[in-house]
Amino acid sequence: MAEENSGMEDAYFEKPKRLETWSGLPVSDRYTPEDVEQIDYQKEIADPGQYPYTRGIHPDMYRGKYWTRREVCGYGTASDTNKRLKFQMAEGVGGLNVILDIPSHMGIDPDHPRAFDEIGVTGCNFCSLEDMEDLVDGIAIDKTSMSLITTSCSTPVILAQYLVVAEKRGIDPSTLRGTIQNDPVHFRYCGFRTAVPLKLALKTGVDSIEYTARNMPHWYNTTVNMYDLREQGIDAPQEVAFGLGMAMCYIDGALERGLKIDQFAPRMAFYCSSHVDFFEEVAKLRAARKLWAKILKEKYGAQDPRSLKFRFAVHTAGCSLVPQQPLNNIIRVAYQAMAAVLAGVQSLHCCSYDEPIALPTEEAQLLALRTQQILAYETGVARVADPLGGSYYVESLTGVIEKKAEEILAQIEELGGMYEAMRTEWIDKEMEKAALKRQKELEESKQITVGVNAFVSEAEKETPGGVHRIPAETTEIQVKRVRELKERRDNTKVRNALEAVSRKADQGEKANLMPEIIDAVKAYATLGEIVGTMREAYGYSYDPLKVIENPFK
Amino acid sequence: MNEDKKIKVLISKLGLDGHDRGAKVVASLFREAGMEVIYLGLYQTPENVVQAALEEDVDVIGLSCLSGEHLTFAPEVTKILQGKEIKDVLVVVGGVIPREDIPEMKDLGIDEVFTAGSLTKDMVGYIRDNVRKQH
Repeated sequence: MAEENSGMEDAYFEKPKRLETWSGLPVSDRYTPEDVEQIDYQKEIADPGQYPYTRGIHPDMYRGKYWTRREVCGYGTASDTNKRLKFQMAEGVGGLNVILDIPSHMGIDPDHPRAFDEIGVTGCNFCSLEDMEDLVDGIAIDKTSMSLITTSCSTPVILAQYLVVAEKRGIDPSTLRGTIQNDPVHFRYCGFRTAVPLKLALKTGVDSIEYTARNMPHWYNTTVNMYDLREQGIDAPQEVAFGLGMAMCYIDGALERGLKIDQFAPRMAFYCSSHVDFFEEVAKLRAARKLWAKILKEKYGAQDPRSLKFRFAVHTAGCSLVPQQPLNNIIRVAYQAMAAVLAGVQSLHCCSYDEPIALPTEEAQLLALRTQQILAYETGVARVADPLGGSYYVESLTGVIEKKAEEILAQIEELGGMYEAMRTEWIDKEMEKAALKRQKELEESKQITVGVNAFVSEAEKETPGGVHRIPAETTEIQVKRVRELKERRDNTKVRNALEAVSRKADQGEKANLMPEIIDAVKAYATLGEIVGTMREAYGYSYDPLKVIENPFK
Repeated sequence: MNEDKKIKVLISKLGLDGHDRGAKVVASLFREAGMEVIYLGLYQTPENVVQAALEEDVDVIGLSCLSGEHLTFAPEVTKILQGKEIKDVLVVVGGVIPREDIPEMKDLGIDEVFTAGSLTKDMVGYIRDNVRKQH
């Protein structure tokens, strides 16, 4: 049987081949006190809860409060998603996290000719106030932290829907907790460019920031989405730099509206990736925290310590998961989640193992939640703030990523700032280069993914645990519903409300449309109508896809 | 047909799905593998795709589906091709696709499916072995 065992000697003596991080940062074989002797602890690291917050934003970290356990959810109609939310709550999530479908992100209604077969497929369909009412039916939104993943020009409309539902229930909006995410600018990198023209995206983002900063003190006015950027293939330092660059666009926009930095910065947050290279991700998150504190203090002169605290959620890296041997993804997610927690995350979404196959089944999502719960309640990692702080390696790598990210930020500054870097598509080119590099590393086995380019086994015929299917009747239901609504409602009221949005927009880009959008939502104007009116008012086509015309003209 | 002629591939997204990183990466890697690639981009309809494929006289249509279009819009493409009695264009689909759906997709005229985590060498090998044949 000598032949069968011929690989054993190689396997026994095998050594790691890749000696650099996922991002290509060189690392030594060991780290010693010498590697950190240049680092001034008080100035560069400091205790948890102390500037520059490298070690975390709270002195007692999770002893004060666990991270919020959330699982992104959204499919079919709002009623379908409501059922899944109730299931999640029964199983012990700490907050809710709902994602819109493509037509809702795009800002088109279900009766749009191009929406057919797209409704409810990759998220929950929102069209009118009725959908938001269905989504939160039976859920105490005054006691629930709600994250509504809206990151397009639909943001102010979805926010308005949520506010009107709260008002109808007699809830004071100033008590609401959660976020609308609200980072329309980054969505140009997620295949939605036509729906988020740069100027309009920034304007709608800043409208929501201004409105929530003035009226909703517990509401996170923006969650800058570094995660989606990372998913494009960029590396860890780029994730930090591009994300902070994006955040600065919003800050500058909000300052131009006359807000003071300390009025809104304490309620800005971030959505980061936790990728597969464990220590690099921990170091990245620590570096991001430190850089944010420095930028807010030195560039923007923030005085309130809360403004300096980089609050972040983590979404484990969807792009690190593969459909080959899908149960392996459970392990990847668990490591990524642990990196996020060791780095001091405030809110966590664990991917479900079946995400590279379809939207998650209920069982797969439960397993993702259980991954968080085992981490929180069994492993003991939440006991001590920043347990990796002081590690020669982690502190050194944190410094390397900080420096790299600063170099990229300086490069962006030379290009005229992030807005210009985006407008001139410099960012696009960086992303495309990075994506190609990643794939080549995989093709050439410079980067190993088990089941893809190593330890490959025959493809499974079926997905363990089955495949989640979107109810086939979703499109039909939503189309019928919106058509009936458009017949039933007082269309004069709708027309007047939309004209008010348009008139306010005539005052210029700094005119905040939120109050008029809230009135339009109350009149049961639809998402497509409000977004279309807003687009037209600022000189864009009513329909982002240029198929339909404004029905009120 | 001149066998030395470069293989011509049309790569496109279908419907409103915005996940275009994979499609763009595959387009670049196919070019590096010596193919001529036309990248049609986002928001395409099945009609657009077939029209562009015919105008450009391509050998292969590569469709990228990550949001369920593999069972809605992708089979529309093969249906239109069948209606026009076009049999020498290879149709391959890549993206987030449950394995369970692959037999149905093949029944509907899709020649091959590459799920996420596929390697270019496998795709290129498949195309070279199967291109310019009657399907």
